[in-house]
Amino acid sequence: MNARIRPDWDIRDAILEMGGTDAYKCYQCGKCMAVCPWTHVESVVFPVYRTPQSVKLGAIMSSEDTDEIEREVTEVYRCVGCESCSTWCPHGVHMPDIMRGIRRILVEFGSYPSELSESVSRIHSSGNPFGEPREKRAAWTEGAEVPPFETGMDYLYSPCCVPAYDPRAVNVAKASVEVLKAANVSFGILGDGESCCSEAIRRAGAEEVFQEVAGANVTAFSEAGVKKVVTTSPHCHRTFDQEYGELGANFESVHQTQLFARLIEQQRLEPKNALDKKVVYHDPCALGRGCGIYDEPREVLKSIPGLDLVEIPNYSREYSLCCGGGSGGVWLERPKGERFSDIRVQQAAATGAEILAVACPYCLQMFEDSVKTMDLELEVKDVSELLAEAL
Amino acid sequence: MSRVGVFVCHCGENIARNVKVQEVVESSRDIPGTVVTADYPYLCSAPGQQMVIDAIEEHDLDRVVVAACSPQLHEPTFRAAAAQAGLNPHLCEMANIREHCSWVHRDAEQASAKAYQTVVAAVERVKRSRPLDPIEVPVTKRALVIGAGVAGIRSALDMANAGHSVVLVERQPSIGGNMSRLSETFPTLDCSQCILTPLMVQVSRHPNIELLTYSEIEEVSGYVGNFKVRIRRKPSFVVAEDCTACGDCAEVCPQPSGNEFDMALSSRKAIYIPFPQAVPSVYTLDPDRCLNSKLDSPTGFRVLACVKCDEVCKPQCIDFDMQPEFIEREVGVIVAATGFDMKLGQQAAECGYGKHVDVMDGLEFERMLSASGPTEGEVRRPSDGKTPKDVVFIQCVGSRNPEHGVSYCSRICCMYTAKHALLLRHKVPESRAYIFYMDIRAGGKGYEEFVHRAMEEERVMYIRGRPSQIIEEEGKLKVLGVDTLSGRTVEIDADMVVLAAAMEPADHGEIAGKLRIAADTDGFFKEAHPKLRPVETLTAGIFLAGTAQAPKDIPDTVSQASAAASKGMEMLSKDFLERDPSTAHVDESACAGCFECLAVCPYGAIERKQLLDAQGEVFREVAAPNPAMCEGCGLCTVTCRGGYIDLEGYTDEQVFAQLGALGALREVIER
Repeated sequence: MNARIRPDWDIRDAILEMGGTDAYKCYQCGKCMAVCPWTHVESVVFPVYRTPQSVKLGAIMSSEDTDEIEREVTEVYRCVGCESCSTWCPHGVHMPDIMRGIRRILVEFGSYPSELSESVSRIHSSGNPFGEPREKRAAWTEGAEVPPFETGMDYLYSPCCVPAYDPRAVNVAKASVEVLKAANVSFGILGDGESCCSEAIRRAGAEEVFQEVAGANVTAFSEAGVKKVVTTSPHCHRTFDQEYGELGANFESVHQTQLFARLIEQQRLEPKNALDKKVVYHDPCALGRGCGIYDEPREVLKSIPGLDLVEIPNYSREYSLCCGGGSGGVWLERPKGERFSDIRVQQAAATGAEILAVACPYCLQMFEDSVKTMDLELEVKDVSELLAEAL
Repeated sequence: MSRVGVFVCHCGENIARNVKVQEVVESSRDIPGTVVTADYPYLCSAPGQQMVIDAIEEHDLDRVVVAACSPQLHEPTFRAAAAQAGLNPHLCEMANIREHCSWVHRDAEQASAKAYQTVVAAVERVKRSRPLDPIEVPVTKRALVIGAGVAGIRSALDMANAGHSVVLVERQPSIGGNMSRLSETFPTLDCSQCILTPLMVQVSRHPNIELLTYSEIEEVSGYVGNFKVRIRRKPSFVVAEDCTACGDCAEVCPQPSGNEFDMALSSRKAIYIPFPQAVPSVYTLDPDRCLNSKLDSPTGFRVLACVKCDEVCKPQCIDFDMQPEFIEREVGVIVAATGFDMKLGQQAAECGYGKHVDVMDGLEFERMLSASGPTEGEVRRPSDGKTPKDVVFIQCVGSRNPEHGVSYCSRICCMYTAKHALLLRHKVPESRAYIFYMDIRAGGKGYEEFVHRAMEEERVMYIRGRPSQIIEEEGKLKVLGVDTLSGRTVEIDADMVVLAAAMEPADHGEIAGKLRIAADTDGFFKEAHPKLRPVETLTAGIFLAGTAQAPKDIPDTVSQASAAASKGMEMLSKDFLERDPSTAHVDESACAGCFECLAVCPYGAIERKQLLDAQGEVFREVAAPNPAMCEGCGLCTVTCRGGYIDLEGYTDEQVFAQLGALGALREVIER
């Protein structure tokens, strides 16, 4: 670290222009650090409240030393955009915006983690972060008879890249479709007509690629006559709902747990098969703090006969601990000891639950990995899977 | 034809930098009616004013225009100068060429052109001005003070000691307010009750003070010098004159519940005295808690379920049939001193308030520290009564938190938290005090030194940051937070947590509404000017004292209370008050009596007046503004559909002449 800061007004202005103006609201009270998931990691100190001050001083990327740049990049990419800080901030600082502003500069300089830059270019070229062929986007539907979207249908079902390509998560998309069919919901899919929502890469700083890929989605949805979208991932839902408007989108978005809860309430879905197990629900950041959706997933779980729903003490709902997958974190290889998902599955296992229920494909991936590496007796399942099994 | 003098001020560089003063002076000579023009570097200086006075006398001027700064600043100065030269002050008019011209325009040409237009408009206006004389209003020589905390007490005593009659109204059964709850006061550690109770006793014995406790303001009407106040005295069901405060009644009363004076940390009976030193020293029967109230008796206690207190009362002063009493008083001035409450909002809940009994707010801890409090001054955990060892204090709970609380700083918390920690260390020497703070704001006399005393002598651990969460674990409260000075997270196993919650005004618009005074966005009463009129309101004759106006500590509260009293006495010492004659006048011959004006008048200044014919029969009702109440805001003049209301000094004729001058000139420029 440079011992002396020489305030750089140009860097400051550049970050402010990239959306970092919330830095000026900050009065360094430290609440953000106190509620940051990194406080659960003993080996890492991440004083996130200092970031706004660094922005105001233009004290970012001011060194030419490669070690220093690497340290700074690591620091800036610690933030997983879980919005814990912005939920509790007394002064309304939206830290993910500040991080995004800084990261846009880093992306412009090409100084950002290689795993991320690879994901960004794959999304750019093939519409998904895995580099899988675009035309195979609907391959998951094999044997499931999923109708293509047609104008006049009520919903576009947007499955998220992870369920579309990941062999484990495919089951989530299939379960979701099964539930929608059971309730006679009028829906269809666009298949290779849509691309990654690009929420994660936007938060990772790749604004240009986001604009391009998301813009293509907006055009595709609009041309297909989409009025309402139901998503499996809360990340897709959040960006559709809160960010696509900037790109001229004119459609509504719901998260599938919202729709499922409504269908259950209307008795269009009646879970019958009992699941005599203890289930603990994890609030995904993007769904809970990000969209304020806490109750609907729980209502869905509670509708399943026999299911014993428990909570993680002190760390549920607004206090939920992030899995670490947000803002591109899912593609970053974090050393053991620094994985939030490891801590979270331990918290979940400590409740005595047999199943950890999630409502986000990133959470599913992160927790499955952690359960395996930590050798825990805990099944990780999406809410839609549990619901489909109960029908 | 008028004889107008135009005087243009340079205001040093303030005006001259951007307005070509000489050009304005030259061109003004040609304005019809102008007899003399002149300029001066600082017209408001003594020689500048003298120049105006001399010119009025020398040129026999009957109108004056001073082209200078805002009338808010120096209109009184030049009107006084005009008066000195024998001119009616309302024949002197200001043309604002500083705030409206030189300060706001970069281009000197345009600024000068606008300055000239402004002068022309002012000349046209002043030519149509009439001499006006101030309105004289008689003064009722009595003051009303609302709220008998330390602010109200100090104001009432100051005015009463100066020989004025004071009506002091308090809604609680005893006077003393929040200060009577406090243990010791920073930075000198005087016992709060020891310094307050002598004042309370003085109030109760003062021949000039009429004390109305357990009473609320029902209605306020009238105007400065002549307010009429209706006060509702709530029934205490105890005849105060006969009560000896022996306490026999409370002993037999079967209805205990939380004592709000002790922040519900102790209990009291339905019949009670809030605290031993209460003034007046009489018992009150709380109808919300008395068994009798639970019966269906809309008119009071006529069906009695329990008469135990009555049976034991030797002086026989329990009166279950007591009814509210309405008292009317006429007063000349009013001091509003309604005080504060603790605001326990979302952030307090975040800190576990309401969830863990060992998390308490600052006032609750005050009661605990107080020798007359529920634990007789001993610090004990509410959950198990044990003496706590590790106590965490959290500052800025709700304050400086625009997202989840209030945006302002509550000003007293840094100091009282330091005091709490220090007193804890005094009372429990083996205790350890931690304070989570954001900034230490210790701006008073001896305050900084006091905080350092807590740090250095009492070894209080100051941690700069906000805690994230408080988790109950094995009977302890685990406080998780950060220290932003070291950039590290902090974890403390506490026995007790004390929150420095935000202050909020105790009046939520009710008294403000009845007094027709403004409150700011946070609900604190708004002063007339934040710097120069800090204890006055925009409603003449109503003054502010204490935390009802803004969060403040005891010294500031007492200072402001004395200031409000002194402002009140300034009015009470006169037989007549002079008011600005810029008031509304109705053309009675044309008024249609629609009374739209009455509906919009914010001061209630417009009355219905009956016009009688030759036989003495009412033939029409017309609007009649009371010049003593009219503040000259002009709302009625623009509301009147027929345009039959004029504001003296701002008549339609004057305003149209002014606008016409501007419009005519614009045509010339365009051509």
